[in-house]
Amino acid sequence: MEIFLQQIVNGLAIGSIYALVAIGYTMVYGVMKLINFAHGDLVALAAYIGLTVLMQAFGMHITNLWAIILMFVVSALFISLFGVLLERLAYRPLRRAPRLSAVVSALGASLAIENGIMLIWGPNIKVFPSNVFPSASWHISGVVINSTQIAILLLSVILMLALYIFINKTKIGAAIRASAIDQDAAKLMGINVNGIIIAIFALGSFLGSIGGLFIGIYYRELYFQMGWIYGLNAFIAAIIGGIGNIPGAMLGGMLLGIFNVLIAGYVSNGWSEALTFVLLIIILIIKPTGILGERVAEKV
Amino acid sequence: MKLKNLLWVVVSLAFVFVSSSVFAAGVIKIGVQAPITGSFANEGQGIDNAVKMLVAQQNAKGGLLGKKLEVVTCDDEGTAVGGAICARKLVNDGVVAVIGTYSSTPAESAEPIYARAGVLQTSDATADSLTKHGYWTFFRNSCPNSAEATFTADFLVKDKHFKRIVVLSDYSTYATDLANATEATLKKIGGNVIYRGKIQAGSQNFTPILTKIKSMNPDVIYFSGYYTDGGLIRAQEVSLGMKAAFVGGDSNDNPEFFKLAGKASNGVYMINVPRPDILPYPLAKEFLRDYQARYHMMPPSIWTLFNADGLRAIMYAIEKTKTTDTKKLAAFLHNLKNFQGITGPITFTKDGERAGSRFMAYEIYNNNQYKVVYKED
Repeated sequence: MEIFLQQIVNGLAIGSIYALVAIGYTMVYGVMKLINFAHGDLVALAAYIGLTVLMQAFGMHITNLWAIILMFVVSALFISLFGVLLERLAYRPLRRAPRLSAVVSALGASLAIENGIMLIWGPNIKVFPSNVFPSASWHISGVVINSTQIAILLLSVILMLALYIFINKTKIGAAIRASAIDQDAAKLMGINVNGIIIAIFALGSFLGSIGGLFIGIYYRELYFQMGWIYGLNAFIAAIIGGIGNIPGAMLGGMLLGIFNVLIAGYVSNGWSEALTFVLLIIILIIKPTGILGERVAEKV
Repeated sequence: MKLKNLLWVVVSLAFVFVSSSVFAAGVIKIGVQAPITGSFANEGQGIDNAVKMLVAQQNAKGGLLGKKLEVVTCDDEGTAVGGAICARKLVNDGVVAVIGTYSSTPAESAEPIYARAGVLQTSDATADSLTKHGYWTFFRNSCPNSAEATFTADFLVKDKHFKRIVVLSDYSTYATDLANATEATLKKIGGNVIYRGKIQAGSQNFTPILTKIKSMNPDVIYFSGYYTDGGLIRAQEVSLGMKAAFVGGDSNDNPEFFKLAGKASNGVYMINVPRPDILPYPLAKEFLRDYQARYHMMPPSIWTLFNADGLRAIMYAIEKTKTTDTKKLAAFLHNLKNFQGITGPITFTKDGERAGSRFMAYEIYNNNQYKVVYKED
């Protein structure tokens, strides 16, 4: 039993990271009907920028707490801006173009960012310092939880709650929901759809950047192709929850995280990636709208 | 019409001129197949750097057979597909011999291509299978897994007396082969292997399998895979509050392992051939000094030096046989006895295996200080 609980704890930590990243996919898809394949690479970029800021801060003998805050603020701001810029350069000129053009553009942007990371930071792995969060851990009847896992869970839940309130209780949130239902009608009602699209790219990239920083802090190993694999997992999480549905992305992320560790723990580590795709296929066959989805995910 | 004919003549003359210049050039091409990018990038760059340095030194002495040496590098990314692509590319580039690659998977996928083209290949890859295919072009410049497995089993059972042993590998040719050989040897000498598992290299999240292993109460986890995973496995093992010792196979012995494992590096045992800095040979000291002077860093690991020895043996063969005919070079190398190398005397057997091995076990303390705790006589 305690083994099972330990696995669930492991799964929730990685699941929250997937959830944070999945929200970015789902928000963009909800409004633009576009899979932003470059999103995963923004997540990777966030981790690299975070590491650079952290090393600079340590170099200037800034205390640990302030260095962490600085890392989160600088990286999240930069990536939010970068997400907006990406939309401006890679997607806006193609807004009226066939869907496939936008997908190809997204893949191009993804490769450009990935190779940019390789050119700036080099092809070797980069390692986050091991002392970012205090290395405290708690043993609760045989289950070990460490401070990093608690921080990841807490922060992710707070951020997702904040986003949920923002989408459902504010004027901008209402405009985002309206744009997702019908862009043209929203325009006629006086909603600035361009502004809304900028807002969702900024928000989605912001949450993704936090996810990327968590990957860095939790696993501590960065490599320039990491955006693709984390992005793919988060994308699958978004589909499982129902693409276009924000609570669905959160749920999908958590479920996928737990699914991954249970397969790795009880079947085999090598199978967890393959079976993730099997799960995706099963979901698409049985319930193509995902668990909480309202709209049928269109073929891309 | 006339103009057209003239054009044809010019084009064909140009073609003849270009193609002949390729064959008549006074250079001997040496290939490097190595993971310049990907998980083993720093090892790959080490191999590339070492070859370029030795070739520059040889060229400064006037090259070989009166010709300059030229290095052609191909990045195989450490993958099977990359290995096959590189092999074709280097064969097309007309290299005499290829130095590298670092890992067994791309070395094995490249082997038949070099053998068919008659291009010599010398690699530090340690999978036993590499010298079992009967390719006359392959020469291992390091020690095979079977030798390391014997040493590891002795260390775990006869020296440390571990009672409950877990053996882990990834899915690569090399690591699977080494773990299987170690497991078999352990069973032969009465060791108790309670679990044999595999991890997906690069998956970063090893807590699920470690949680499962924790419930089996092991004394020791032996991991035969690479440093990028080994460092994380050790870090996550300690964060789960496990007390089992960690013993890493030779591919864990890389500075990146200690960065990834952080404080958890302490108490780790590494099995490897002697570290570059404690090799007793003057050639080794000279090589390290030159490498440091040229690249302002130490070579990433001993594997760089093994490949350097592979290149030195091939250059020696070219010098002695006065030819670049690979059949003759291979015949010479198959009979090479005690050629003084950077990593010790080099002797090749008939199947391209390097004879003899000298493994050691190191214990890590103070984050990356190490002491030798067990060695082969």
